[in-house]
Amino acid sequence: MNTQMEAEKREENIPGFDAGAFEQLVLTDAEASIAARQKAFERYLGLPAPRAVDEEWRRTSPQMFPFDKVQLLPVIPAGKYVAGPNDSLFDIVVSVSADGFGVQDASGLLADGKVKVMGLSEAAEQEPGLMAQYLDGKAIGEEAGKFEALNSAFWNFGLLVRIEPNVVLERGILVRCDVESEAGAFVPRLVLSSGAQSSATVVECTGNSPDSAVICVSTKEMYVEDGAVLKVISLQELNDQSAHLANDWARVERNATIEWIGLNFGSRLVKARIACDVAGEGSAAELDGLFFTHGEQHVDQKTLQIHSSPNTYSRLLYKGAVNDESHSVYQGIIVAKPGAVKVDAYQTNNNLVLSDSARADTIPGLLIDADDLKCSHGATIGNLDEDQLFYLRSRGISQDEARKVVINGFYDEVAQRIPYEFIRDRVHAYVQERG
Amino acid sequence: MSEIETKETFASGEYKYGFVTDIEADEAPKGLNEDIIRFISAKKNEPEWMLEWRLKAYRWWTTRKEPRWALLDYPEIDYQDIRYYSAPKKMIDRFKNEDGEIDPEISKTFERLGIPLGEAKRLEGVAVDAVFDSVSVATSHQEMLEEMGIIFCPISEAIIKHPDLIKKYMGAVVPHTDNYFASLNSAVFTDGSFVYVPKGVKCPVELSTYFRINAQDTGQFERTLIIADEGAYVSYLEGCTAPMRDTNQLHAAVVELIAMDNAEIKYATIQNWYAGDEKGRGGIYNFVTKRGHCRGRKSKISWTQVEAGAAITWKYPSCILEGDGSTGEFYSVAVTNNRMQADTGTKMIHVGNNTKSTIVSKGISCDESVNTYRGLVQVVPGAKGCRNYSICDSMLVGDKCSANTVPYIEAEDSTAIIEHEATTSKISEDQLFYIKSRGIDEESAINLVVNGFCKDVFKKLPLEFAVEATKLLEIKLEGSIG
Repeated sequence: MNTQMEAEKREENIPGFDAGAFEQLVLTDAEASIAARQKAFERYLGLPAPRAVDEEWRRTSPQMFPFDKVQLLPVIPAGKYVAGPNDSLFDIVVSVSADGFGVQDASGLLADGKVKVMGLSEAAEQEPGLMAQYLDGKAIGEEAGKFEALNSAFWNFGLLVRIEPNVVLERGILVRCDVESEAGAFVPRLVLSSGAQSSATVVECTGNSPDSAVICVSTKEMYVEDGAVLKVISLQELNDQSAHLANDWARVERNATIEWIGLNFGSRLVKARIACDVAGEGSAAELDGLFFTHGEQHVDQKTLQIHSSPNTYSRLLYKGAVNDESHSVYQGIIVAKPGAVKVDAYQTNNNLVLSDSARADTIPGLLIDADDLKCSHGATIGNLDEDQLFYLRSRGISQDEARKVVINGFYDEVAQRIPYEFIRDRVHAYVQERG
Repeated sequence: MSEIETKETFASGEYKYGFVTDIEADEAPKGLNEDIIRFISAKKNEPEWMLEWRLKAYRWWTTRKEPRWALLDYPEIDYQDIRYYSAPKKMIDRFKNEDGEIDPEISKTFERLGIPLGEAKRLEGVAVDAVFDSVSVATSHQEMLEEMGIIFCPISEAIIKHPDLIKKYMGAVVPHTDNYFASLNSAVFTDGSFVYVPKGVKCPVELSTYFRINAQDTGQFERTLIIADEGAYVSYLEGCTAPMRDTNQLHAAVVELIAMDNAEIKYATIQNWYAGDEKGRGGIYNFVTKRGHCRGRKSKISWTQVEAGAAITWKYPSCILEGDGSTGEFYSVAVTNNRMQADTGTKMIHVGNNTKSTIVSKGISCDESVNTYRGLVQVVPGAKGCRNYSICDSMLVGDKCSANTVPYIEAEDSTAIIEHEATTSKISEDQLFYIKSRGIDEESAINLVVNGFCKDVFKKLPLEFAVEATKLLEIKLEGSIG
């Protein structure tokens, strides 16, 4: 019974991420975090590499990621803060480049001990108690895959942001990654922790200049403790030569809320998992996302809404447009664990197909193991409404302009939830450019 | 319609089709190899080309592995421990004897099932082909249909009498390389129905096949092929039952439908195979490949199914919408109780321009069962103006059951409009309270709510079937509540 698939020879490690690379990376890192890396590396070695025949990877083959063409970048050390255009809008800004990362503390929150921002290696040395909670990846609710383990072992930029209990941030925190490299693998690991009853907004912008090319394998772990409110906005704007593999998890405890907006506009190739476990009773998650693919872009996003406790709520809205020869994949799953009663869960995915060569796949799913709940999902694929276009054109607006107005209107439901104008402007700019 | 009123129904409190008919059977030894296939082919007096086709399928099958991607959990199937052919002994000479007498025991079996085979007691408006284990035992109304040019006969007869049609269409929709179970069926299929409706003919009666598994350790592998030529219309019903046994039995069927220009085929199933007891012992493993091909312009294929039985159901009646303006429909009610597991749904492949499809799926899970809707809506590049609307609702009755919805939607054309909606919820307390406050007891109230939930599907069934489906549902829900 030899099938073609089995006959295929398999290399279990991701090219460039082997024992040699690991040893070299460890040399550039602080002593305190090596033990955890070592454990993760062993796990990584034991896991099978994802294959194109795996359901998860059927639409985005792992072979599409050119790992053989990139070099793992050394660990990014603490360095100087570099100013950016919108920094004045935030209490705290972390600027990250290949040379180092720097922190600006405009409101004195760090000085007052209300917020902690530090590299993961530094955190492992200074805050071993705090870090111990996060090292085993408690937010990650599923068996780790190859790339998650890769990130745990090989991360070359690690950041801990801890908001202390009862602290309310007025303006929020910006983490700005701008990693220049001709052919580098950037492996960031971001740990966000909101203490009980705290409230904060964290904006994460990832980009690079047009002449660089990176593969970004990122992991984000978010812990929202009892009664806290965490708003997260992730804007991914890597350039067309880059690839992005993301694995983001949030764990929301009792009566806490997360509002999470994912904006995946950049990168030639994206494979992202956006997962949220409303783990404590009475917790809630509002998950929104926008994407607009163009050229030969391929954006594959999978969302997970996990309800492991009773009386939990989640709402998800992902909207996207596909143009030119691009391809988008959306896969959404709502999971209600046994015993998770009185659950309300909603999931909507709307897609606009703007060109005949573009393709949108949507796979909304419900996996329900409990009774006494309300779950629903809806998905649509369509094109621009002719009536709406006609209405605008009859008022003297050009076809091209009318299209953009309608697409902006389509995005508005999510865009208006973004509390920063400069980010909303980015959304409008993408519509202007790609519409 | 008086016959229908006196007719027994599929449904009753206990699984009343669990009886075994004591008849002498002509059987093949257990196991599967090329000799067994030659044996089956010889039993059926098949021509050489048919045997070759079976062997080709068998050889392909041996190179494949059983698919395990569905949300189903069952032990390894030993394909060598199954008997692939069993026929009531007195029927062997059927094709030699013009008015072949039916064993009174079998006749009685079908009467107990509510399918009288005697001409006198024939159902009005329904032509029946009854399949007992591996062979077809009787087909009614044949002369009347023949006058209109409609062919309705067991497929084994069609292979001999209409080889041209069989050669042309068998495997045209579900090729022997389609999937593991379809290729197994292609190798060992024993009987099933063949329908050909010629150009412009609207079949005036409902055609019906009744499948019955009787012998122990036997698999049933039937194959049905329905062709509606230009402008033709046919409505086809299928019902299934099996005796209660502690061991699992395998049923792997293939159904192929082909609709030419302006033709319409309606295919309705009430599947009530024995589902095992409350501990999950026994029951039928139901692995079925059903697919319709809308070849012609403005053709239409409509699947309606009520899945109430079988320990394991793996079934995705699909439509390939090739003809411009063709329509595919799928209406399904799947009820699972005890430890039943169902992974069922549909595939709508839009190839032609302006093709339309509708999917309405209602799942009801009780006790410790697992009920999954799995579907695909695909618009291939260049198919203009395609439209799909899907609604998948699941109702949970009990706190140990699972309800899953896994739809796949792939649009490769900018003119496609696809809408999908799904909900999962507990049976509505408000609705129950409203009904109970009018003096109706809880069980009846639940029946009313569930029937309302399934109404969109039941109204697509022919009247007699709709009545039975309602009753069947009532029985399945009995005792699942509270």
